[in-house]
Amino acid sequence: MATETSAAETADETADESGRAGLRANAKWYVLSYPLVWLVAVFLVPLGMLVVFSFWVNIPGGQYQAGFTLDNYVRFLTTSLYLNQLWLTIELALVTSVLTLVLGYPLAYYLARLNRPWLRSTLLITIISSLWVTYVIRAYAWQVILASNGIVSSVGVAIGLLESPTSFYPGYWGLIVGMVYVFLPFMILTLYSSLRNLDGELLEASKNLGAGPLRTFRRVTLPLTRNGIASGTALVFILALGAYVLPRLLGSGSERTLPVLIEQQIMSESNYPFGAAMSIGLIVVVLAFLWVLLRVTDVTTGDLGGVDAADDDGTDAPRNAAGVFGRLWGAVGGVSSAVGLTSAVGRVGAGVEDAIETVDSNTREAVIGASLKAYVAAVMLYIAGPLAIIVAVSVTPSEFLTFPPGGFSLRWYVTFFTDPEWVGALFNSLGIAVAAALLATSIGGILAFALDRFDYRFGSVLGTFGVLPILVPPVIIGVAFLVFFLRIGFAGNRLSIIVAHGIFYAPFPFILVMQGLGELDRTYEEAAMNLGASPIRTIRTITYPLLRANVVSGALFAFILSLNEYIIAWLLSLFLVDTIPIHIFNQLRYSYPPTIAAASTVFIGLTVVAMTSIDRLSGGIWE
Amino acid sequence: MSGITLEGVSKRYDGGVLAVDDIDLEIGSGEFVTLVGPSGCGKTTTLRTIAGFEKPTAGTVRIADDDVTDAPPYERNTGMVFQDFALFPHMTVRENIAYGMEADGGYTTEEIDARVAEMLELVELPDTADRYPDQLSGGQQQRIALARALAPQPDALLLDEPLASLDKKLREQMQVELRRIQQEIGITTVFVTHNQEEALTMSDRLAVMNEGRFEQVGPPEDVYGEPDSRFVADFLGTANIFDGSVTALGDGLATVDSDGAAISSRSGAETAVGDEVAVVIRPERFRFVSGTPDGGRTEVTENVFEGEITFTRHLGSSVEFRLETAAGRELVVVHRSGLEGYEPGDEVTVSVDADDCRLVSQ
Repeated sequence: MATETSAAETADETADESGRAGLRANAKWYVLSYPLVWLVAVFLVPLGMLVVFSFWVNIPGGQYQAGFTLDNYVRFLTTSLYLNQLWLTIELALVTSVLTLVLGYPLAYYLARLNRPWLRSTLLITIISSLWVTYVIRAYAWQVILASNGIVSSVGVAIGLLESPTSFYPGYWGLIVGMVYVFLPFMILTLYSSLRNLDGELLEASKNLGAGPLRTFRRVTLPLTRNGIASGTALVFILALGAYVLPRLLGSGSERTLPVLIEQQIMSESNYPFGAAMSIGLIVVVLAFLWVLLRVTDVTTGDLGGVDAADDDGTDAPRNAAGVFGRLWGAVGGVSSAVGLTSAVGRVGAGVEDAIETVDSNTREAVIGASLKAYVAAVMLYIAGPLAIIVAVSVTPSEFLTFPPGGFSLRWYVTFFTDPEWVGALFNSLGIAVAAALLATSIGGILAFALDRFDYRFGSVLGTFGVLPILVPPVIIGVAFLVFFLRIGFAGNRLSIIVAHGIFYAPFPFILVMQGLGELDRTYEEAAMNLGASPIRTIRTITYPLLRANVVSGALFAFILSLNEYIIAWLLSLFLVDTIPIHIFNQLRYSYPPTIAAASTVFIGLTVVAMTSIDRLSGGIWE
Repeated sequence: MSGITLEGVSKRYDGGVLAVDDIDLEIGSGEFVTLVGPSGCGKTTTLRTIAGFEKPTAGTVRIADDDVTDAPPYERNTGMVFQDFALFPHMTVRENIAYGMEADGGYTTEEIDARVAEMLELVELPDTADRYPDQLSGGQQQRIALARALAPQPDALLLDEPLASLDKKLREQMQVELRRIQQEIGITTVFVTHNQEEALTMSDRLAVMNEGRFEQVGPPEDVYGEPDSRFVADFLGTANIFDGSVTALGDGLATVDSDGAAISSRSGAETAVGDEVAVVIRPERFRFVSGTPDGGRTEVTENVFEGEITFTRHLGSSVEFRLETAAGRELVVVHRSGLEGYEPGDEVTVSVDADDCRLVSQ
């Protein structure tokens, strides 16, 4: 580190001489060192250790010793159980991403073209809020719905489709329903930002030239949102690959995905080297997927055209004007794996168009409009319904979890707020989230500031650092940090979770501050300096006030994510630290007291408040 | 004295682009100098070098006789009005205007309040102190930006295309206003614009820039009437330019052959036969040769052009005609309004005095 720094320093000093006046050339290395220490020493080192560990020798009984063996990999790649589960993990991720795309596109389209701002922001806030609620609560909601005494079963019995109450989980399709539910908001928001960027005049031009709505969609909208489709699919695929909570809570024994197996090796078998090897295997799958996507992009660069091709550049992605997700997953590569899918959809569209060409255009538009609205309502119900059910369950008076509730009672809230275990978990969660948010904001914010203000020789590489943590599946982050912290005797406490969360969620403040700096008009700062303000005074009175919304939003993001995070906290807790997601998860293993619903409702409330304030603060960040 | 001096100033950017190429300029105290030129000519870089936002690669910058070449912007006493005004959006008008005085630290609260009021009076917006910039119109923002720049009593006022974002009518109004305020307080002013009309109407002197150098510096009427180069003639106002070579000299006049047309023009001191030159004729210098079909026309022998009117355009106080001569050359002729009756398709004859033609090098 040090040598690299000083070498680059001398080389850059001359170049910087003529650079932005008022900022010293040396300052740039001091500013950069803070985020780099965290991201290199405390993030890359654990990941590196994981690689090393995967070659070490396991001694049954929770011990391991340094050495070099390929046994772990051989075991992973030759045991049909693991290979089957690896394939299942990939298959689940593929099915999930395709289904979310099909469900999400019409909704995103409707939102992007919606002309009533209040309705749009209400729908967006609903989608966004559900997005951030912990997987544990959302999986729990589907347990309530799919259980043998749940809604699906009782409705089925009532209308005679089912002969007796049936449980739809655990099992493959129950898991798919839950996965799609959980990842659909990510897809919608990515597509939404892509569709919002689409110039409405292009659609009008197309219609003016005589193209009907379907032709306009097929020839203009679809091709121009191809990158959004690719980014959304890639995002959901990678998230689904790393999913741990859903397969655990909604899948049966045969749906144990790779993250579940990894956690098992670590927490139950204490076989660290083998857990590490499987983690590397999962990372390889993610990297291979990204590589394939990028290859496909190269092949079809011509198809992409210039319109949203700017999203392709990984490091510049955070500066783009697209939504947060567009930018984040622009970093994955604005990929056109969806090209094949796009043309398939296009062909279907063409067929439908031919079929209805005979109907007069007003009827056609009316039918399309009405069916789109019905579809949107159905998907919104799918997104919002489960959490509404949780809220309803939380006010049920009876001892057992029932739906619909037989009356109204706040007794489970009373239980929640008076049970020392729940209150303790709540305070742990809040404390960890606040500290992690501050850490994440300091890392991400300072890195963004440094990259914006100074020219670094490896600026684009450093920019990738800013978004790197979020690309690694959380279960692997958890395992890596666990291995690292165990080495230095620092696991099983709140601080270790704070550090892991602080680094893992630094990309959010990073991207938001980067965006704020990108949009910040530099002449404000020049005007301040021209009026005699020193650089420090300029940052204090001009730069920071103008960036405050972005900084605070970034911190709130990190806060809410840390608050809701389960797997990293669980791995690092070593059974010693209890947070709300951990507590709910553990309770779900044995019983379903409605206190869980009350706890969930409190959490959902916190999340909605935080997300609404981010939206207010930033004047519609989701636009 | 609070003039500005640039000596041998050059600015080369990191990428190797030479934005400003060894320029010298002395601006007197209270003088209004305009830097004008096409985009990329280096005028903004020159202004930003004076303000301290760019550090020159070579040369010296002096403001009020102090060498400020190495001083950061906040240690130079200049007041700048930015193209989009850069009014701090999170501060009221009062806070914006007070900002420079607060940063200075040498003003008491009472002095600041008094000065803010004085500045608002000067720009004729006394009731806007508690508004935010986004509650002001474009013209009001412009005035507040000016008030903010002037409040800390700078040695020089720097204007970076401040009128570019205003609509035409407001722009003309502000041209007058800006000049009034500048003369009222007698502040040294450097004005950057790509708008040649602004440059001609507002300045004591203007400096036409091209490719990082000054093409010509002088009072507007001189630069317009006596351009030193083809570039200046072409850039400022409209010009009919005839490229050709000098065929004869005598009596202070040169005869230039341009594609077969012989044009008589005032010659320069160093003009020689055979020089490749350009003859510049301003459109308003042409006269219509009044004539009747029976041949009773005024005696005009030199610089006569016959052509067909292809296009007319009313400019308000004058009319612009486009003529196409038999040789296929296009002429632009401007005449004061009141000369009705000429229409596209008419055959007309125009002429220009040799004295109104100017020779420049090609």
